[in-house]
Amino acid sequence: MIVKTPADLTALALGWMRFASLRTRLTVLYAGLFGAAMILVSLAVYGAISSNAERAVRDQLTVTAAVFDQVWDLRSGRLQDGAGLLSRDFGFRSAVASRDDETIGSALDNLKRRLNVDIAFMLDTNGAVIGDNAGQIQDAAQRMAVNLDEQIASGVLTLGQASYQAIAAPILSPTLNGWVVFARRLDQGEMRALESLSAIPIQATVLHKEPKGWLSSSGPLKVTRSTDITSVIDTSLDEQAKARATPQIKIKDGYGQSVAMVKSLRTLDGGAPAVLLLRYPLSMAMEAYRPLLSAVLITGLLGIALVVLGSWALARSVTRPLLALGEAVRRLQAGERSHATVDTRDEIGILAQGFNEMADEIAEREARILRQAMHDSETGLLNRPAYVDIIDKLPTQTDAGQLVAVSIGIDRFEHVRGAIGYGPATALVGEVGRRAAALAVDGAVARLATSMLGITMRAASEAEAQARLHHALNALDAPCDINGGMVDVHLTIGLAMMGVHADDVSLLIERGGIALGQARAARQKIAAFDATTYGDPVANLSLMSEMALAMEDGSLDLFYQPKLDLRSRKVDACEALARWRHPVRGMLPPDLFIPMAEETGHIRALTDWVLARAIADQAKMRAAGFDLAVSINVSGRLLGDMEFAERALEIAATAEGPLCFEITETAVIDNPRNALEVIDRFAAAGIAVSIDDYGSGLSSLAYLKQIKADELKIDKAFVLSLDSSAKDALLVRSTIDLAHSLGLKVTAEGVETEAGLQLLTAMGCDVAQGYLIARPAPLNVLLTFLAQEQTEDRRYG
Amino acid sequence: MFARLAFAICLLSSVALAGASHAADLNVTVRDKAGKPVRDVVVTVDVAGAGPARPGGTYQVVQQQMKFDPFILVVPVGAEVSFPNKDVVRHHVYSFSPTKAFELKLYGREQAPRTVKFDKAGVVALGCNIHDSMVSFIKVVATPFAGKTDANGQVRLRGLPAGAATVKVWHPYQRAVANEIARPVTLGVQEVALAVGVDMRPAPDRDRAY
Repeated sequence: MIVKTPADLTALALGWMRFASLRTRLTVLYAGLFGAAMILVSLAVYGAISSNAERAVRDQLTVTAAVFDQVWDLRSGRLQDGAGLLSRDFGFRSAVASRDDETIGSALDNLKRRLNVDIAFMLDTNGAVIGDNAGQIQDAAQRMAVNLDEQIASGVLTLGQASYQAIAAPILSPTLNGWVVFARRLDQGEMRALESLSAIPIQATVLHKEPKGWLSSSGPLKVTRSTDITSVIDTSLDEQAKARATPQIKIKDGYGQSVAMVKSLRTLDGGAPAVLLLRYPLSMAMEAYRPLLSAVLITGLLGIALVVLGSWALARSVTRPLLALGEAVRRLQAGERSHATVDTRDEIGILAQGFNEMADEIAEREARILRQAMHDSETGLLNRPAYVDIIDKLPTQTDAGQLVAVSIGIDRFEHVRGAIGYGPATALVGEVGRRAAALAVDGAVARLATSMLGITMRAASEAEAQARLHHALNALDAPCDINGGMVDVHLTIGLAMMGVHADDVSLLIERGGIALGQARAARQKIAAFDATTYGDPVANLSLMSEMALAMEDGSLDLFYQPKLDLRSRKVDACEALARWRHPVRGMLPPDLFIPMAEETGHIRALTDWVLARAIADQAKMRAAGFDLAVSINVSGRLLGDMEFAERALEIAATAEGPLCFEITETAVIDNPRNALEVIDRFAAAGIAVSIDDYGSGLSSLAYLKQIKADELKIDKAFVLSLDSSAKDALLVRSTIDLAHSLGLKVTAEGVETEAGLQLLTAMGCDVAQGYLIARPAPLNVLLTFLAQEQTEDRRYG
Repeated sequence: MFARLAFAICLLSSVALAGASHAADLNVTVRDKAGKPVRDVVVTVDVAGAGPARPGGTYQVVQQQMKFDPFILVVPVGAEVSFPNKDVVRHHVYSFSPTKAFELKLYGREQAPRTVKFDKAGVVALGCNIHDSMVSFIKVVATPFAGKTDANGQVRLRGLPAGAATVKVWHPYQRAVANEIARPVTLGVQEVALAVGVDMRPAPDRDRAY
């Protein structure tokens, strides 16, 4: 910013806070302070000098005025001497007495030349003029004749525009016969002569008053327009009349400011008043001090210039490293590698050094964080986001074909980890990753989950990809040398192809992972993503939020499947089964929404609803004349849930008939302590407990012993093939025997044939349940079935 | 004093000589504007039937102690006035007055007094060419009825004939044309008292004249 004018400076001062740079601010501050100081000093010096000068001027003017009086008197004395001499001359008086005008005139002329006066004449008491008879004298002469007396008089005589110093000496012979009047013109020369007598360069002017104001012989006085000389003189004269002193005044004229004095002059004829104006221009008084003032001014300006340069340089030395630091900070902010180059060893240098160390540390940390952010810390393989980023940057289609996301899963990893330990298991994952890298585009291998690796291939078709993977599988599957020990590896591979299974990279990778799960479910080594099997998980998720609604609007319903007591050949119990008739998707299988409810936690609300509904329906059955025990499936997830247990017991207490909770033995194995406690409480509350699906999952005789169950339900897998498989028949028989010996009642599920029913009866099974007896059906259908059974006295087998 | 007395006697004798009609006196009192009596004021009466003034006795203006004495001298036309110098210094008595211009060049007291005859009525201003401060006046009158006021501003003119008359009042420092004013007066057998007010200017300070 360049300051050119005072206005700029003012603007700068006003916008102080707006100074963009420290440098400008420092420079302006220093220069401003010094400048202000210099201005104050200059003003003080100037004030002292000018007041001093003015005082000197005033003193000198007073002195000069006194000198002037003396000079004036001296001059008038000379005139007086001449006039007096003539007026007393006996011969002259004689001539006057005899009115010898010729003689009078010649005598006056003679003296006029000798005394070097401008006007000389004789005035008689009647006002008649003898001698120098200029036309303008006549008026003045009349006034003089009235004004003068026997005494000699001196004063100013104004004739026309011209002023004269005049003297009138009476002619006494011995009475007054007239006056001898001598007058000397007060012209420029005369004034200069007067001025030259003064010790100081004074300007003397005689002015007389005319109707239009005070005039000098040479016309109006040259003063500036702001000074009205007439009013100045009048005011001064008024003050003099009041104060009886001669005040000094200030006027502005051609010389600038002047100190002046107005001295009233006596007029000889009592005519227009006249004054002597003495002026002393201050500029002339200040002349002597001019070199001093110039020296002060030049010194001040030089000083300011030096301060500006100095503070600019200082500010620059301060701000340059700051700017370098600022630039370095900006680069650091932009994520670039940044180093501030500051050579100084001062505070800023230390700051810069600190900054550089900080920048290095940040860069190092950033690299480390970046690596951590992109890599799996255990195996050093890429993590999912980094992997997605890398794949995302690849062109989807090249000559080598489409992108194929391959997920490689290490089977039974938890078991392997349990067997060989955490570290070796992780090393195993890393080893498989290294092997897989050979297959991968850009060698990018990611650890997508604990035991799942991801690579990307390019293949023209799904078949080509599968073929290549099959070919590579031998190498991948080979036992690994982990810490010197060989470990078997079993892999399952899922793949998804860009453009076929997904249109974007992250979905592609996800689907590759799902394909792995599908391969495992299908017990295949390699499988591509199968959209049909996958369904629509997003829709499934929304299903859960619809479930609450379904419980109210009736689309979720309970079906009942009768249980036949093989001894009484009567249906005396039934199992409640949830059915969901979805308004859009139609009949939904429990296999779909029950596991989903278990995974999402909705199973609690669902079970509450089923329990309440079953109790209500049991009351309806009872009302219809059928006392049936109702079995309800309780998910293993809820067995550890004490809160659920409390509520279920509360609801169950309202039941009018016997209830049975069907649980799986697996649920107990997962969380035996809680599950057994809950089961005990159910049993204590009089609720029968049934062990469901016995034989299909994990069955533990240890737990079977501990569960206070009333019933054991043999899984239908065994019952369906009962009449065709001797082994199954053997298992069923021994299970029935086992159960009976533990005091448990045995129910066979999936009874679909007469032969099967007869076998079971023969084996001593207690209860049968299955399509042979009845399919699960709504309550009204069950009631109809029960009514028919009563009347028809139906027989099975 | 002597001259005045002589003149008064002279006037009285002239009245006695005229004798015919019996007349009254005129008593004039002159005062200035402040009401103070003014001395040395010359009062003359012009009256029809009055005879000419006749000089009688001696008249003199003495130069003594650098002054003329008297300051004002009233003389009839034709009177001879002597100017004795009683000072140790010499004087140069002169008059530029048109009534009687003369010059008595330097003379001392050892010399015989000079005399001058005044044969015309009017005012004669006397000066000394050596001593500017010396001044006096001689009033030469044509009428026998003339006098000057005393210290009380009074003058008594006796034996005036009855009838209309003009009283003239003159003083060198009176502000008036020819330093004189006139008052008409009717004289009868009774004494007439006339009060005249005059406008006086101060006597010029001759020491400051130059």
